[in-house]
Amino acid sequence: MGMTIAEKILASKAKRDKVVPGEIVTVDVDLAMTHDALGAHTIAKFKELVGEKGKVWAKDKIVIILDHYVPSNTTETAKKVQKIESFVKEQQLTNYHGIGRGGICHKVLLEKGYVVPGDLVTGTDSHTTTHGVMGAFAIGLGVDDMACIWKTGRTWERVPETVLVEVNGKLGEGIYSKDLMLRILNVLGVDGAIQRSLQFTGETVYSLSIDSRSVLTNMAIEAGATNGIIDPDEKVVQYLKGRTKKEYHIIYGDTDASFERHVKIDASSIQEPLVAAPWNPANVKSVSELKGVRINQAFVGSCTNGRFEDLQTVAQILKGHKVAPNCRLIIIPASQEVFEKAAENGLFKIFIESDAFVSGPTCGPCMETHMGILGPEDVMISSANRNFRGRVGDPTAKIFLASPATVAASAIAGEITDPRKYLR
Amino acid sequence: MSVNIEGRVWRFGKDIDTDELFAGRFIMIGDERDPEAYKRSIVKGAFESLSTIGKENQNMPQGFIEALSRVVSGYEKDVQEDKMALKGHIIVAGENFGIGSSRQQAAEALRFFGIAACLAETIHRIFFRNFWNLNGIAIDQKGISSLFETGDIARVDLVQSVVHNLTNKKEIKLGIKLPPEFIAMYEAGGLIPYHRKRTHKLL
Repeated sequence: MGMTIAEKILASKAKRDKVVPGEIVTVDVDLAMTHDALGAHTIAKFKELVGEKGKVWAKDKIVIILDHYVPSNTTETAKKVQKIESFVKEQQLTNYHGIGRGGICHKVLLEKGYVVPGDLVTGTDSHTTTHGVMGAFAIGLGVDDMACIWKTGRTWERVPETVLVEVNGKLGEGIYSKDLMLRILNVLGVDGAIQRSLQFTGETVYSLSIDSRSVLTNMAIEAGATNGIIDPDEKVVQYLKGRTKKEYHIIYGDTDASFERHVKIDASSIQEPLVAAPWNPANVKSVSELKGVRINQAFVGSCTNGRFEDLQTVAQILKGHKVAPNCRLIIIPASQEVFEKAAENGLFKIFIESDAFVSGPTCGPCMETHMGILGPEDVMISSANRNFRGRVGDPTAKIFLASPATVAASAIAGEITDPRKYLR
Repeated sequence: MSVNIEGRVWRFGKDIDTDELFAGRFIMIGDERDPEAYKRSIVKGAFESLSTIGKENQNMPQGFIEALSRVVSGYEKDVQEDKMALKGHIIVAGENFGIGSSRQQAAEALRFFGIAACLAETIHRIFFRNFWNLNGIAIDQKGISSLFETGDIARVDLVQSVVHNLTNKKEIKLGIKLPPEFIAMYEAGGLIPYHRKRTHKLL
C-alpha cells in the first residue's frame, strides 16, 4: 500500500522509508515563519530555552514578517517590533520583511518563493496550512514549539490520516474558489478534518490558478485540519520560476495511497454564490437565503482573499458604482507585490471613485487587531476566513464570509447581494 | 508507574474558540520577559474575553466567570497560585475545543487560571499542542463530555489512559494510548523544561 503526499513528505523529513497514520515522528523543518503577533513571544521562549547567547539553527530558514499590526498601533506593539528587529540583527537573520517590504505572511511566503514542493513548513499562525498549495506539508504551531524549532530545526508531528476532497465539474459564473471552499466546509463541518491532512484533487482544483487554489489550503484549518495539501502540477513549477532559488524535488502521493475518507464534490452543483453566516465558517447559506441582510462594513483582503485576481474581480464589479451610503468598504491588498500590480493596472482609481477605503498591505479587519474593528450590532461581510463571535471586536457584531465578488456587490447594495448581476 | 491528576470539573459546551478564550485586541499586551507581569496581563485579557464574548456564546458553565474573577483579583493581591480559585480544576467540553488561531495566549490563560486539564469530544490541534507544551493535559475522546457535570471530581490516569468520574463512579477508557513522550514531557514540566533536559526523544 502506497503513501499519500503528506505521508511521503513526513517520511522523507523523518528520514524513514515509510510512516503510517497515527504514529508520532520527529521531522526536519525547512522553513520556520513567525510574525509580529507572536514574534516577540517566540523570541522570549527561545531565550528561555537557549539562554541569552544561544543561536538559531539556521539563520536563512527563519522568516519573520510584520503583518497583523502594521504600522504599529500602540506603544506595546512598537516595543514588540523593536524586540523583533533587534533579534533579527543579533541573529543575522536573512529573511525579514518589515513594513513596506512584504505584506501578509502567507502571501509573501508564496510570492518570494520561500516554499517549494516537498518542504516541511512551520509557522506560528494557524493559516500556515496555505503552503500546502505548493505540495509542501505546512502546519501552524504555538510559540513554544517554534522556539524549539529555532533551536533544533526539528519538531514532532502525528502522522495524520488523509481526507481526500475531489472536485470535478465547472464552477459557474460568479462562483469562485472561495465559494467552493465554503461548500467543502459545509460538507465537512468545522471538525470534519480534525487532526487530518486535508488533500484537494480533481479537475476543478487543477483548473484553478495557484492563487485561487491557495484559498482551499488556507481554509483547510477551518475544518480542523493539521494541514491542507495539493499534489503539485506544472502550474506550481511555472509559479516558482523566477521566484525561488531553492532546489527542489517534487514529491507526489502514490497512486495506491489509502485515504480515511474520500469526499466527491460536483462544482457545477454550486448554483449560486455562498456565504458563511455567524458563528462559524461551516455555517454556509446560499446568497439568496441571506438576501436583504443589511451590512454596514465590507472588507476585501486577508491571507485568504487579498490577491491580485481578487482585486481585479472587485474592480470589475465596482466600476461605475458607489458603495451604499450606509456602508463602508475597506480594500487591502495582501502584499506589496499585489499593491504594486493593482496600482499599475489602475484598480485604485476605480476603488477610490467608488468611495472605498484602500490601505497598504496588512491583515486588517480579518481579526480584532488595529483597524476596521466592529462596534455593537455592526454587520460586516468579509473575504477573510473566520466569523467567530468577537473575532473583529464587539461580541454582538456579526460577520459573514464570502468571495471578494460577493463582498463588493454587497457593498454597493448595502445588503448581502448576488454579484452576478454586476458581472454581466 | 502512575501519573494521576484529580480536580473539580467545569462542564463547557461546544465550539469554545480561541477568540472567545483570548480576544485579538489583547494579543500584543504583556512583556513576555517579565513572567509575573505577563501572567497578570494574560489573565486580565482572557477574563475580559470570556466575560464578554463567552457570555454571549453561553457555552460556559454557571459560576465560571465568577471563579475567574476571583483568580484575577488573586493575582492582583499576590495570592499564592496554589491557593487560587481554579487551581487544579478540569474543563470538560463538547466538540471543537480550542478551534481557531495559533495564539498561545488562549492556552496560557487557562493554565494561568489554574486549569490542569482540558478533556473534550474533539480538540483542535494547535490548542492541543500548546496546552501540553504548557504542562497541561489535553485529551480528546468521543463520549467523554456526557460522563461529567459541573462540580464532579475527575481523575485522569495518564499511564492507564483512563478518565474516572469519582463522583458518579463512571469511567472512560481512552481510544488511543497516550504516547510515552507526552507523559515524559508532562513529568518534566512542559515542552521547554523537557527540551532542556536533553533526554527527550521527540526533538
